[in-house]
Amino acid sequence: MRRPASLVLLALAVFCAALAPLLRYYAYPRLAKVPPGQYMATVLEARDATLIDYATLQPRQVAKVSMVQTVKGDARQARKIKDATGRDVVVWDTLTYVAGPDGAMVSRIPERYVFDAHSQQPVHTGGEQIDGTPVRHEGIEYKWPFQVRKHDYQYFDLMTRTAAPIHYGGTRTFHGLRVYYFEQTVPWTRVPVPRTLPLGVTPETVRQLGLERWYTTKRMFWVDPTTGSPVNGEELHREEMRWTGHPEKKPITAFAGDVRMRPDYVDSVVHLVKTQRQLLLLLTDYVPGGCTGLGAALLALALVLDGRARRDRCAFGPGVAQDGENTRMGDPRPRASLSEGGSP
Amino acid sequence: MRALAAAAIGLAAALALVLALTAIGPPDSGTSPKPLLSSIPAHP
Repeated sequence: MRRPASLVLLALAVFCAALAPLLRYYAYPRLAKVPPGQYMATVLEARDATLIDYATLQPRQVAKVSMVQTVKGDARQARKIKDATGRDVVVWDTLTYVAGPDGAMVSRIPERYVFDAHSQQPVHTGGEQIDGTPVRHEGIEYKWPFQVRKHDYQYFDLMTRTAAPIHYGGTRTFHGLRVYYFEQTVPWTRVPVPRTLPLGVTPETVRQLGLERWYTTKRMFWVDPTTGSPVNGEELHREEMRWTGHPEKKPITAFAGDVRMRPDYVDSVVHLVKTQRQLLLLLTDYVPGGCTGLGAALLALALVLDGRARRDRCAFGPGVAQDGENTRMGDPRPRASLSEGGSP
Repeated sequence: MRALAAAAIGLAAALALVLALTAIGPPDSGTSPKPLLSSIPAHP
């Protein structure tokens, strides 16, 4: 390779060829992370649900129960943990606020969840809690890791405070997105009574009445595999107050309903995910793919240019000047045919 | 020899770009001033 143009093209070809795997396998795992200061609210609703009336301890049918889930990243705390451990972590303070048809509070459960910003694996650095009780998170919660795989995951349940498998159930299309469907069934399990309930009811009050809280749910998520963000969620959720030590007594239904994401929030999340996934695809697919193709094309061009240069040199011989002027003795070939750059 | 040097320049440039990108990283946002919601928002 002697022509400057060939050398420049070769350098660009190597640049592109090297950039493709470096972006995909070096930059992407380091750059793809959950931002520490993320704030997001999601509203879910259960229409025609059953809800306990704490004044009479009787279940009643209500038109609608709303569940507001807010997630707020504590960026300052995340920075402190990073300084101490060297790990990129996310500290989420969440609140699950349930409201009755009149908007009045039914229950509120705060949580602190600390996890690795890249892998979504829980990080146990202290401060994890649910409803004021220290817990140890296991598995994933709220969000899947980037590049979701088609297999089961361990999913943490806020109510039972344990992790259980959430099963991959196939690929679906949802609002124009190709998503992975996951499903988890939590069997009837005794769970703690929330500290904040209506009418000043406390866990102690419930215990004194001889009641305990049981819960079961079938949880469904539609997850974008690129970002790991659920774009839709639904729960067939049931809660009962059971009489402690009296299995023969009829339990009181505390809540029963099909909880679904409110349509305007589905649209909002889908829009956000569609934007975010493009940024990730730039690093994993678009730029590496484009660079590979461009690198191959540039290399081919460099080789063609170099090949032509070599042919020209062979045709003219060592004594032929670049402008085609024949300086060799006894060469009868006309000048024009050589200057066209064709084969000798 | 010049071809090797050109290839090395291309490789070094790619490495430098990727290392710079990862060193800068994505922008870190601060904690949002918005509260954890204890009412039902009208819209997202």
